[in-house]
Amino acid sequence: MSAITIYQKEAWYDLVSVWRTPGFVIPSLAFPLVFYLFFGVLFSPSGSSSHAAYMLVTYSCFGIMGPAMFNFAMNIASERAQGWLTLKRLSPMPFCAYLLAKMATSLVFALVIILLLFSAAAIFGEVRLYHSQWLSLALLMLLGTVPFALIGLLLGLTLSDKAAPGVVNLLYLPMAFLSGLWVPVTMLPQFMQQLAWLWPSYHLSQLGLKLLAMDQGHAALLHLALLLLTTAGLTLLCLFVFRRVIGAK
Amino acid sequence: MNSAVNNKLTLLQLKGLSKSFAGKSVLDGVDLKVKAGEVLCILGPNGAGKTTLISAILGLIAADSGEIHLLGQLQQGASRSVALRRQLGVMLQIGSLPATLTVAEHCDLFASYYPAGYSATELVTLAGLEAHAKQPFGRLSGGQKQRLLFALALAGKPRLLFLDEPTLGMDVEARRNLWQQISQLQQQGISIVLTTHYLEEAEQLANRIMVLHQGKFIANGSPGELKALTQYKVIKCCSALTDAALLALPGVLQLSRQQDGITLHSSHAEQTVLALLSLDNTVSQLEVKQVALEQAFLQLTQSPGSEHADSAKQEHAA
Repeated sequence: MSAITIYQKEAWYDLVSVWRTPGFVIPSLAFPLVFYLFFGVLFSPSGSSSHAAYMLVTYSCFGIMGPAMFNFAMNIASERAQGWLTLKRLSPMPFCAYLLAKMATSLVFALVIILLLFSAAAIFGEVRLYHSQWLSLALLMLLGTVPFALIGLLLGLTLSDKAAPGVVNLLYLPMAFLSGLWVPVTMLPQFMQQLAWLWPSYHLSQLGLKLLAMDQGHAALLHLALLLLTTAGLTLLCLFVFRRVIGAK
Repeated sequence: MNSAVNNKLTLLQLKGLSKSFAGKSVLDGVDLKVKAGEVLCILGPNGAGKTTLISAILGLIAADSGEIHLLGQLQQGASRSVALRRQLGVMLQIGSLPATLTVAEHCDLFASYYPAGYSATELVTLAGLEAHAKQPFGRLSGGQKQRLLFALALAGKPRLLFLDEPTLGMDVEARRNLWQQISQLQQQGISIVLTTHYLEEAEQLANRIMVLHQGKFIANGSPGELKALTQYKVIKCCSALTDAALLALPGVLQLSRQQDGITLHSSHAEQTVLALLSLDNTVSQLEVKQVALEQAFLQLTQSPGSEHADSAKQEHAA
């Protein structure tokens, strides 16, 4: 038995516990897939595979955001409310293991969603990409879960267990829309296109689209820098809130 | 380990611990000592500060002033080292564990936190839930949940065990079973700090009872000593009777004279007053008071079974 065992078990049981909650698993996996099949494949305006490829990137982005935000926000809020988190803090478990376990669960869900959407795109949308494109898109989306996990953590640390699901939806859905994940950003009114710059999901999707040369044409470094900046800002905010909520009162 | 040496150890010591929330004092200069092998029961009505006291000891909140020595180490602020946490066991008033994980899985997870603790299987046995090992936490009864939480508190074979209202929500049988388990732990030499608002529970389990009332300990003693303390009332009056006549009144334990009258301690106040009035019709300024301890005890002496009515009343009052 070593410290590594704690990290492994913590991650495994977090995943198992979430996996046994159909109310979480089904919407997390089905929504992005069904939406993509409808809006990316079936109702494609031109019926072209380029539309299906474009939407693959944006719906992948939409898909990975959900579980990251919901798993952190809802489960941390409810484990806080029920006292489970307190009991864990009093145990010798390193708190890091708890957070990494939640991150691992989000990554597993992100991976399943990516595989589902990629398969749907290849089979029904006739999307053909280079191996390197498939692979880099998948990696980008996995890394891209980090800022959304941090948003979820922030909400989980501050909201009550009753408020958390509602607030996450209130943030998740408008953010997805305003970032051009449902309707291509170029089809949004001008002021909305400017608002899109606020959201990490916009920058993540633009980076993804750049891999397929379908982005709006801004510098990749600019998107990357803004995404990293947002992530850094969220990390600091989480640390601050964490000290206040979990640390000494 | 040599138990004779062990017995001299002080595992927990508090000196002048104070904590207030929003200007309201919840703990007011609390002193406390727990020796190895001792079961200390902190008895107090709801709102007396029991949970705040446990939270401060465990480092969930930082005390405003005072010292906390845990296992011989002075604790700073609200952090407790991993090495220390490995030697403590804690059972809190907790709503729920993740509902979809089974008894065996919860035990497996908690067992992994403690390098020198019990194995997962041993924990399931300790909880007495062998027949329910594969049942998800959400489908256990209230008593079964408490038993699992009790077993998880023992996961690290702790030297010092904190049980915060461990029998809350248990039926009579489950309560007796847990009492039995706690007695067994005591026989193994584990020190226990237990909070409760049931006098009966404290009497059953404790070597020593400390009564917490409005953030202060108002009594400290063995169950027998405390019982004796609660069984008298204070009678004040002005009377023409002599000392000898007063002491001969039924129930009188003690007499003292002040400038403005006399003070009697009586084990049967009603009978004392009745006899006093029949002997002396000049009695004036008669006053019968409970001792402070008893005021606290009044809220403690309800039987454990009446808990639901009890909490309903409190909700109503709030």
